Amino acid sequence: MNEAVWLAAGATTVGTLLIRMLPLFWMQRRRRRRAVTTGPETAMPIWPRVLAPLMIAALLGLSLVPHDVSAAGWGATMMGSIVTLLVWCKMRTLGLPVAAGIAVYALVFLIGS
Amino acid sequence: MNIPAWKMGAREALPLLSGYLPVALSFGLVASQAGFSAFEATVLSLLIYAGASQFLFVGMIAGGAPLWLTVAMTLLINARHIVYSASLAPWLSNSRRWPWLMHGLTDQVFALAHYRLPLLDEKDRLGWYSSAALVAWGSWAGGTLLGSLAGERLIMQWPLLVEAMAFALPALFLVLLAPRCTSLRWFTALMASTLSALLLGLYDLANIAIPLAAALGALCFYLLPRTINRKHS
Repeated sequence: MNEAVWLAAGATTVGTLLIRMLPLFWMQRRRRRRAVTTGPETAMPIWPRVLAPLMIAALLGLSLVPHDVSAAGWGATMMGSIVTLLVWCKMRTLGLPVAAGIAVYALVFLIGS
Repeated sequence: MNIPAWKMGAREALPLLSGYLPVALSFGLVASQAGFSAFEATVLSLLIYAGASQFLFVGMIAGGAPLWLTVAMTLLINARHIVYSASLAPWLSNSRRWPWLMHGLTDQVFALAHYRLPLLDEKDRLGWYSSAALVAWGSWAGGTLLGSLAGERLIMQWPLLVEAMAFALPALFLVLLAPRCTSLRWFTALMASTLSALLLGLYDLANIAIPLAAALGALCFYLLPRTINRKHS
């Protein structure tokens, strides 16, 4: 990497950090102002509350595309997802459903390919 | 349950470690094939720390694209992160550490934090988030280093392991979203967002899939009558 590429990497780093950091400052300032004038319940706008879960849903959709787009890949993804949800319904925890999903995914993928 | 918050954060970030490693291995491999040294690739992962845009950064540099365009395109892909810290703001104190910790706010860390932070006491949030973000950051950088040094060999030797580990991310997102399906209105909007992102991903439009699919889901949410919400919640 020459000096110019390092500079580009630095600019990308700073830009990405600002994208992640500045909305926090903005929202905290807004909350402080609104909490004084109209009360804490109106301090937070509605759009982040709606958009945030929908962005996580989009991340889910994107991550569901199997690396190996084949019948084995899709079958493993489907079975892994079903088992993850079933275990979650039973346990209501984070770790175990994910581990069970991975195990079933690997098993179905191995059998199918 | 009296586990220290930092320990809980590290433990809950383990699925991220499993999901990040295969992608980080691939990034390390792609970066080394594009002429970046293991040190350079790892530094990129530590500093920029944003999956898709790092692939784009390395690809555009290797392809000889103008540097200003490379930076602009990379930041454009990361623009979706604008929503993340704003959404978490109600659960973050005024500590001066929080803004700097936003460096670790990737898509996956955001999804995890959005689920967990509201359930924690205020005093535990900083510790929980710091350790969860650190595990994710470390696994991304470590995976990149490993991928740069031995990525090809690892992927050839254990293809099933690499494939299966990547499923940790969709499994985690499923678990994080399941409690959000509190009404038919929310369920429909979440499904619309998930399925449209899946379709866009299949057509190689991953870079715009997240904002576009979320916007479509939001459209569904606002178009559906509020009465659906009341009946089922």
